[in-house]
Amino acid sequence: MLTFVVRRLLLAVPVLLGVVFVVMLTIDLLPGDAVTLMLGEHATKDAVAALRAHLGLDKPFLVRYVDYVGRVARGDLGRSIQQNRPVAAELADAWPATLELTAAALLLAAAAGIGAGVLSAVRPNSAFDGVARVASLFGLSMPIFWTGLVLIVVFSLWLNWLPVGGAGSPAHLVLPAVTLALPSVAMIARMTRSAVLDVLREDYVRTARAKGVGEWWVLLKHALRNAFIPIITLLGLQSGQLMGGAVLTETVFAWPGLGRLMVKAIFARDYVLLQGAVLVFALAFVVVNLLVDLSYGVLDPRVARQG
Amino acid sequence: MRTLGSRLLAGVLVLALAVALVPSAGAQKRGGTLTIVRPTDPVSLDPNLETTAPGAWVYFNMLEGLLTLDDKMQVKPLLATSYEVMSPTRVRFKLRPGVKFHDGTPFNAAAVKFTFDRALHGTPPARWASLAGSLSGAEVVDDLTVDVLTKEPYGPILRTLAMYCMGIVSPTAVQKQGADFSRAPVGTGPFKFVEWKTNTHVIVERNNDYWGDKALLDRVVFRVVPEEGARMIALQTGDADMVLFPSPAQLPALRKDSKYTVHETTGIRVVFAGMHAGLPPLDDVHVRQAMLYAVDRKAILDNIMEGSAGPARGVLAPGVFGYKDMQLDRLYPFDRAKARALLGQAGWMPGPDGIMQKGGQRLSLSWLAARGRYPKDGEITEAIQAMLKDVGIEARVQVLEWAAVFQQVRSNPLSHHLFTLGWVTSNADADYSLYALFHSKQVPPTGWNTSRYANPRVDALVEQARRSLNQTEREKLYGEVQDILAKEMVWIPVYTTKEIVVTRASVKGFQVHPVEYNLALWKTWVEK
Repeated sequence: MLTFVVRRLLLAVPVLLGVVFVVMLTIDLLPGDAVTLMLGEHATKDAVAALRAHLGLDKPFLVRYVDYVGRVARGDLGRSIQQNRPVAAELADAWPATLELTAAALLLAAAAGIGAGVLSAVRPNSAFDGVARVASLFGLSMPIFWTGLVLIVVFSLWLNWLPVGGAGSPAHLVLPAVTLALPSVAMIARMTRSAVLDVLREDYVRTARAKGVGEWWVLLKHALRNAFIPIITLLGLQSGQLMGGAVLTETVFAWPGLGRLMVKAIFARDYVLLQGAVLVFALAFVVVNLLVDLSYGVLDPRVARQG
Repeated sequence: MRTLGSRLLAGVLVLALAVALVPSAGAQKRGGTLTIVRPTDPVSLDPNLETTAPGAWVYFNMLEGLLTLDDKMQVKPLLATSYEVMSPTRVRFKLRPGVKFHDGTPFNAAAVKFTFDRALHGTPPARWASLAGSLSGAEVVDDLTVDVLTKEPYGPILRTLAMYCMGIVSPTAVQKQGADFSRAPVGTGPFKFVEWKTNTHVIVERNNDYWGDKALLDRVVFRVVPEEGARMIALQTGDADMVLFPSPAQLPALRKDSKYTVHETTGIRVVFAGMHAGLPPLDDVHVRQAMLYAVDRKAILDNIMEGSAGPARGVLAPGVFGYKDMQLDRLYPFDRAKARALLGQAGWMPGPDGIMQKGGQRLSLSWLAARGRYPKDGEITEAIQAMLKDVGIEARVQVLEWAAVFQQVRSNPLSHHLFTLGWVTSNADADYSLYALFHSKQVPPTGWNTSRYANPRVDALVEQARRSLNQTEREKLYGEVQDILAKEMVWIPVYTTKEIVVTRASVKGFQVHPVEYNLALWKTWVEK
C-alpha cells in the first residue's frame, strides 16, 4: 500500500516536469512580452532592456527552464513578474478559495448526481427519469458564465436572497458552487443511471432478490457498491473539470481564487506566476487521481490484493 | 444710472447664487462607507511598480505629489506652495509646512529627494520613470525647499510633476517595510491604507490628521468584480455605490433613472486609425486625405459609440496643454465624391471588382487591430473598413489579441498599412504626444511614431517647444505643429474617450476627472 503511494507520487515528478515545460514553452511561443506589457505604451527601449535583464528574461529558453526547475526543487517558486511578490504567497492567498469552491461543487454534484441517477435507474423510463434526462442535457449544454449570470439575476437582483459576488460567508458560496456543479451533476447522473442499470441486470442481483433481500438493501449493498467504481472514476475526472470551470465561475462571481490569478497571469504574460498556478493545479489533479485509485481498493478488495 | 442699476442687479444675482449654493455645501455629511466595484485588482499600490488605473485609482487618494491637476486640467499646488524657475534645468519649490505622513514622519525636502532617487536611480527604475521625460532628480536646499532637476531644459516639467503617479512616499515606511511597501503604501493624502485582500478588495480610511480639508467619507472599499454584467447588478442591488468602467449599453437607461447618477467628462485619450506614411501607397498624401473624406466619423460616434465617447477634433484631446482644434469636420467633411476625386488625382482608377487600381496594382491595405483594448475598437475598425470599400479601397483586417498587436506595432519595420490604436497624453502636455508620435527620430522601438511620419519643420518645432519653459511660446509652437498635421494627416482620429462613472443617486459631491487615474474621493459623501 505504502509502496504503491510512494511509487505513484514519484511518477508525478516527470508529469510535473512535463507540465512546466509545456507551459513555459507555450508562453515563450505566444506573441507578446511580459516586460513591454508591464511598462506599457510609454516605456523607453533602455527601460525595457534593463527590466528584461533584471528578470532574467534575456536568457535562452532552456536555461530559464533549468533555472526554474532547480529553484522549484529547492522549494522556491520565484517572484511574480508583475507584482514582485513571492509566488508562494500569491498562491497561498488564492488556493484556499478555489479549494473551497471546487470541494463544495464536487460534494453538491456527487450528492445530486448520484441521487438523481439512482432514482432514474430504479424507475427507468418513468416521468422522473424523463425529466432528469432532459434536465441533465440542459445542464451539460449551458455555458457556465451564462448559467452564472442567470442565477445572479434571479437570486440576487429579483429575489435579493444571495449576494452578487465576492467571498466571505457561506451565502457567498451558494451561487458559484451551484453554477460550477451543474454540468457535473448532469454527467454524474447519467453515468450513475447507466452503471446502476447495468448492475441491476447482473446475476448476483437476481440471486439476492431471489433470497428475499429487500429492494433498498439490494440497491445500496449490491448494486450501488459495484456501480461505484465507474462513478468514482468519473468524480476524479470531474474534479479536474471543476478546477478548469473554476476559472470562469471565479470571474463571473468575483471569487478570489486560483482561476482568476491564472487569467491575470496569462494576460500579463507573467510566466513565473502562471507556472506556479499550473503546478498547483497539476499537483491537485495528481493527488485526486491517486485518491481515486486508492478508493478502488476500499470499494473492491480484489483490486487491493492485486495492488 | 442704467449701468449702476444693472451692476446692482448683477451684484444681487451673484449674492442670490451664493446663498443658493450655501445650503448644498452645508448638507455635506461626514461619515459613511463608499463601495466601489471595478474590473481588476491593482498590480501594486506603489507608483514605482504600478502606473495603470487599477492601482492608481486607489493610491491617488493616499499619496500626494508636489503639484496636481484640477478637474479643469490646470496645475495647482499640493505639497508645494510655490515654485520659481532658477535655470532652464532647475525649478525651486517651497514646500507646505507642518505636513506629516500617515506614519507620523514629517514631510520635507529630504522625502522629495528620497522619492525621486528611489524611482529614478533604483534597480530596476520605477515604472513611471519613462513617463517623466527629462526629470533627473532633486536637491535639498533646506528643510522646506527643494530643487527639481532635469537633464536638459524641459518645458513639460510642471505637468510631469502634477501626474497622478508622482506621489511623495514616506522614507521611513519604505525602509521599514521593504518589499511590502508596495502592498501598504504610506503617503500624506486624505485617505490612509487599511487592508488589501488580493482579488477581493482594498480598503482605505479617512486620514484624521490630514493637513487640508479632511475627507468626508469614513472608508472607501474598492471591490473587484471582473464581470461587467455582475458589476452593474451590484450597483442595482445596492451592493455597490459606484461603478468604474460601466457597461456602455446600459448608460442610456441609467441616465434616465433617478436612482443613479451618470458622471461624465471628456477624457484625454484619442482613439484613431493610424496610417503608415512610409509604406506605399500611403506615402501619397492624396490617398491619406481621401481616406479621411471617406470615413463618416459622425455616424461612428452616433451608431457605434452611442454617446459613450466624444468627437476627435485632432490628434490631441481638448484637456491637454497645447491642444488646438484641427477643424477636421471643416477640412475633411464626409464626402465620398471628393475621396474618389482625390484618389483619381493620385492616379487610382476603379477596377473591374470596384477596387481602385493603378498600373495593375489594387488599392488593398493591410490593417492590424485588437478587439477590446479600447472601447469598441473592433467595431470601429470594421465600420471604417466598410466605409473605405465604398470609395474603392480594400482593407484586409487582421484582428489579434492586444499583446500580439502591441508587439507588432512596437517593432520596426512595420508591414501593416493601418492600425487601430489609442493614445493617452499621460502628463496632459502636448509634448508627450506630439514629440513621441510625430518626431521623425521617434520611430519604434524608440518612440511611438508608428506612422513613420517625417517632416523636418515638425521636428524643429517639437524640439523647440520641449526645450522652452515659456508656456505661451510653447502653446504657439504646438499650434503650428497641429496646423501642419491637419494638412498631412497620418491618422484618422475617430473619437476622444469620455470618462464615465456611475453612482447611486445617494452618492454626492463626486466629480469625475478628465484623467481616468485621478479618482478623487475626498469631497464625496454618501447620503443616508
